[in-house]
Amino acid sequence: MYQMLNTGTGWLARFAAILGGIVLIGLIIMTCLSITGRALIPLGLGPVPGDFELVEAGVAFSIFAFMPWCQYTRGHARVDLFQAAYGKFANKVIDLIADVMMFVAAYVIAWRLYLGMMDKYNYHETTFILQFEIWMAYAAGFFGAAVFVIVSAFCVLRSLRAIFIKPSELTA
Amino acid sequence: MSNLEIGLWSFPVLLILIFIRIPIGLAMMAVGAGGTYIVFGSTMMTMGQMKHLVYGTFSNYSLSIVPLFLLMGQFATLSGMSKGLFKAAESWLGHLKGGVAMSAIGACAGFGAICGSSLATAATMGQVALPELRRYGYSGPLATGTLAAGGTLGILIPPSVILVIYAILTEQNIAKLFVAAFIPGILAAIGYMLVIAIYVRVVPGSGDALEPQPYSERFKALIAVWPVILIFLAVVGGIYSGIFTPTEAAAVGAAGTGLVALISGGLNWQKVVNSILTTANSTGMIFLIVLGAGMFNSFLALTQLPQTSAQWVLEQGFSPWFVLFCVLLLYLIFGCVMDSLSMVLLTVPIFFPIMTSLDFGMGTEEFALWFGIIVLIVVEVGLITPPVGMNLFVINTMARDIPISQTFRGTAPFVLADIVRVAILAMFPSITLALVWLIY
Repeated sequence: MYQMLNTGTGWLARFAAILGGIVLIGLIIMTCLSITGRALIPLGLGPVPGDFELVEAGVAFSIFAFMPWCQYTRGHARVDLFQAAYGKFANKVIDLIADVMMFVAAYVIAWRLYLGMMDKYNYHETTFILQFEIWMAYAAGFFGAAVFVIVSAFCVLRSLRAIFIKPSELTA
Repeated sequence: MSNLEIGLWSFPVLLILIFIRIPIGLAMMAVGAGGTYIVFGSTMMTMGQMKHLVYGTFSNYSLSIVPLFLLMGQFATLSGMSKGLFKAAESWLGHLKGGVAMSAIGACAGFGAICGSSLATAATMGQVALPELRRYGYSGPLATGTLAAGGTLGILIPPSVILVIYAILTEQNIAKLFVAAFIPGILAAIGYMLVIAIYVRVVPGSGDALEPQPYSERFKALIAVWPVILIFLAVVGGIYSGIFTPTEAAAVGAAGTGLVALISGGLNWQKVVNSILTTANSTGMIFLIVLGAGMFNSFLALTQLPQTSAQWVLEQGFSPWFVLFCVLLLYLIFGCVMDSLSMVLLTVPIFFPIMTSLDFGMGTEEFALWFGIIVLIVVEVGLITPPVGMNLFVINTMARDIPISQTFRGTAPFVLADIVRVAILAMFPSITLALVWLIY
């Protein structure tokens, strides 16, 4: 059961990150086309309309989508100076505390992002040039934020398991 | 408890959380939110802020450079350009005593021009240069010390992720900061080469010279690195001349390195996925810290601590240079245990108002550029100082047979070179600002 959860969560985090990366690469290509177009204005070409807005919304989507992978791989910067001094058990407890805190943060981020999205939706706020509604960009970001909540919930379980299960059973 | 006291107390609490290994960004978020709650007596402030803060931070146009530069660095590692750079440097420097190590520094500097991350530079150049250094009989401490120190050139020589963050925090022009970083970056490379020249003479048998290569070979090797030169000129030249924004430049750079990687056959689907996942990891890490620092700093602003401490320092009548010395010393000490980005995000909002209120005999903008470059260098020293210098560990994992204590020893002279350079740049601000004056 745990193995299935682990594989599933890992896959989900990976999937989100790759999706974010593909969007990022898409933005790179779009930006290069836009620059080329801008340089060739005399030839009747032009920049991609609203390129800045696309970069902002797209990069936001990517970063939201990157967050779960970073949490799943324990990639966040921390100070490991005294790690050895705490001993095995204390370190496991600290991992659990950190993962619970991250879960709370992820939950609050997703929840507030949803409310922020509703604000934008109700006011029909749009971007300056493309006139697309900003709530859509929030909604895109919400995908990553939701995955982040799921993945950080799993990480709490993972740390709990590390405390209560003997190492010999962990590999099984 | 007054608001100011709450602000002061937040520091020990934050440090405790950080030192018990809570992720730094998360610790800053928690203390920021908790502190705001204590000041206001309700969570309304934080909860209201959170509605748009996260999306606002992630969609910030200037910050969007960060993932783009990171992906660019990943593609650069796969492009095989590191090999060409090392060969070119070796053909010019290899015949000097300690020349292979100097070539590694030269190649790191070249790689730093297309990569904005120290760890990626150390890792990439380590893969190319470590086997060569060992093959020519360079000693373990010198080989690993050289590469760990050379890695810091990745961030000293523009493009540089930390400068982007500094520019946003202090509302400075990113292009001007990149210009200002250029001469100090070159000085760093020269300084490291001098260290090697002295090292091989003081410690006999630590590194030898190769046969000199004919000039025809040298120029051939130099011409072979044209993609690096082209990408650097496109990215940095484009930013300097204002043809495109720094974010666009990062996109152009990522496209350029990606294209070179694709053509050289270094890029297949699996490698693209790996590049994305590494980028995702670093991006997630950086943005959690940016988010946490944003919350922590807005809490500090509520307590008026930054303004009050700036006022306090001013009233004490300290010499500006003494204050600068203390600030730099603090960075060096904290750099030993904290990562550079967290340090910049955490301290610049506090130190910058203090420093700008002091009179260093230059304009506000000039001061901001100069201070930024010096801070960049001192926080980067943290990457090569024990106990938690990340570059040391990156190199250590590549050279398992060399104990880390030897790497510490080999890096010490380079740290000394860094400190000397900081002192020189601090005493003569015109070194940093000359190119800015010339171009703007």
